[in-house]
Amino acid sequence: MHTHRCRLGALLIALLLCACEQREIPVHEFQFFAFGTLIELTIAGAESRSAQRAYRRIEKDFKTLDEDLYPWREGVLARTNRLLARGQPFTVDPLLVPMIDEATRLSRLSGGLFNPAIGALVELWGFTGGEPPRTPPPRNDIMRLVAGQPSMQALVFAAPTLKSTNKALRLDFGAYAKGYAVDRGIEALRALGIKNAILNAGGDLRAYGRRGARPWHIGIRHPRAPGVFASVEIETDESILTSGDYERFFIYNRKRYHHVIDPRTGYPIRKAICATVIHRSAAVGDATATALLVAGPDHWEALAQAMGIKQAMLVDAAGNIHVTSKLRERIRFHVDPGRSIVKSADR
Amino acid sequence: MEFEVTREDIRIAWLTALALGMYVLEMAFPSPLPGFKPGLANIVTVAALVCFGWATAAWIALLRVLAGSLLAGTFLSPGFALSLSGALASLMVLGLAVSVSRKALSEVGYSLLAALAHMGGQIGAAYCLFIPHAGLFKLLPVLMSAALVFGLLNGIIARSMTQVLLAK
Amino acid sequence: MTTADKTVLILALALIAALYAHSWAPAPAAESARVSSAGKPDLWLALGADREVVIEGVLGPTDLEIRDGRIRFRRAPCLGKHCIHSGWLASDGDFAACLPNAVAVQVVGKGTGFDAITF
Repeated sequence: MHTHRCRLGALLIALLLCACEQREIPVHEFQFFAFGTLIELTIAGAESRSAQRAYRRIEKDFKTLDEDLYPWREGVLARTNRLLARGQPFTVDPLLVPMIDEATRLSRLSGGLFNPAIGALVELWGFTGGEPPRTPPPRNDIMRLVAGQPSMQALVFAAPTLKSTNKALRLDFGAYAKGYAVDRGIEALRALGIKNAILNAGGDLRAYGRRGARPWHIGIRHPRAPGVFASVEIETDESILTSGDYERFFIYNRKRYHHVIDPRTGYPIRKAICATVIHRSAAVGDATATALLVAGPDHWEALAQAMGIKQAMLVDAAGNIHVTSKLRERIRFHVDPGRSIVKSADR
Repeated sequence: MEFEVTREDIRIAWLTALALGMYVLEMAFPSPLPGFKPGLANIVTVAALVCFGWATAAWIALLRVLAGSLLAGTFLSPGFALSLSGALASLMVLGLAVSVSRKALSEVGYSLLAALAHMGGQIGAAYCLFIPHAGLFKLLPVLMSAALVFGLLNGIIARSMTQVLLAK
Repeated sequence: MTTADKTVLILALALIAALYAHSWAPAPAAESARVSSAGKPDLWLALGADREVVIEGVLGPTDLEIRDGRIRFRRAPCLGKHCIHSGWLASDGDFAACLPNAVAVQVVGKGTGFDAITF
């Protein structure tokens, strides 16, 4: 009797196993606001307590950096800009040293197309606060600021002091801060023992590990329509960053004015609508994505090479997609990449 | 070389031939869903199980899968892998059923078990080898329902077959 | 049919019924939207029933409209109204946010979509 029941039980189990079930791994998702945008943290395969602890740490770090790095808040960067304007050397906050160092290097590699010294111009356009502006600033004001030719080369760093030789210089790490924060965040997550995560700061993200049995699926938003026009899979540690003219903008007299300013002209770039970069470091990717938009369809590839980026994509103003060969090997398009992805009315 | 051919061998041979015949017959009919077949050849497997025991049925089922794939030109193809997985799964389940009790189930019961296990084994193999997509499991309820229906029908036909076999 | 046969049949029917329940039932209710607003826990909204939902943001109330399995920003206290211009959000991963008001809406499907979107 006993053995009969055991065998019956085994029989039932065999039947059930034939309909093999999938096992679900735990995935934790957190969201909070910082840097003027939505920050999302996704953790896979960790237990709830570790995930919660990681989230609290990331949220705290981001909110601190937000205070310090955004020049319109009363933090380290705002104070530093005031001191730089005096033209005298001063002891610089250690938080900024690696940032200034890397930003200067990236600015040089990009030939000045990535230029975090144009803080005054950025503020003039008004994309820095919570509300977007409605009208472009007066042309004279723009020209005056451009004439000052602020660049990172005007900074003189003799540890621990910093000074600026150009009164027009004002630091704004807007095109770099999110990537920098993401890199620090990923380091913190790793140190906390998280093995699989995505940290997404308003669309600039870095992912490592996998989601259970499969890699992370990352979508690239269409610049003019809801939804996604391309996607990639990430499983080794990689960042993917996008810069676009649709993130902060206003329309005035039927022209689009957006937050990616060409340092050479003082006006928003017009030759491209979005750029995407894949690279290990989110900070480098962030700076490069912005610089690619400034470089435009004629020079984007040379710029990517100069910045050491092998996987990049640019959508020009006509909606045509340009992509490096290394990225073409892995990117999956959800549209026809051979044709323009925007209707002329949307440009 | 001389082979000694036993009575058992002859029995297996012609029963396998019969199962093959049914398999070929089934190929003539288009199937509404890929991998979805009434499994007429299982009639022979089940009848053989009831009349001559699990070992004989196992020989017949596996030989049929092998010979069938050679005949259809699908040997070592994905279809072959699915067929084999289905056959192995149903044999395993039949073996368990027989070890619990030889007499409790009739041809209908065995056929039902075999059909469900066969379908389950095929889907499992498809998932592990070819289509690791959760979407595959959406098909499970429909395919298993079909397996249940055909399992019952085949079982009833297998009943008649055992009468014939035992009469011989 | 023997008793054992009948038992097997009943178990098989039960198994298949369970498979149907597992695979098919969740489909209609699967699309939902996740609404985040600063300082508050996330709100999950099912997109099955048409209705309007008001979310309090940093600047004031935001009206969200749900209709035909889609969701959109209907009224918002911001100046730019980009959130409203984003239109209807319908597929897994579709996302719009009123950043000045710190309200974000993302459509979540059944896990066949994307883990994150870059933009």
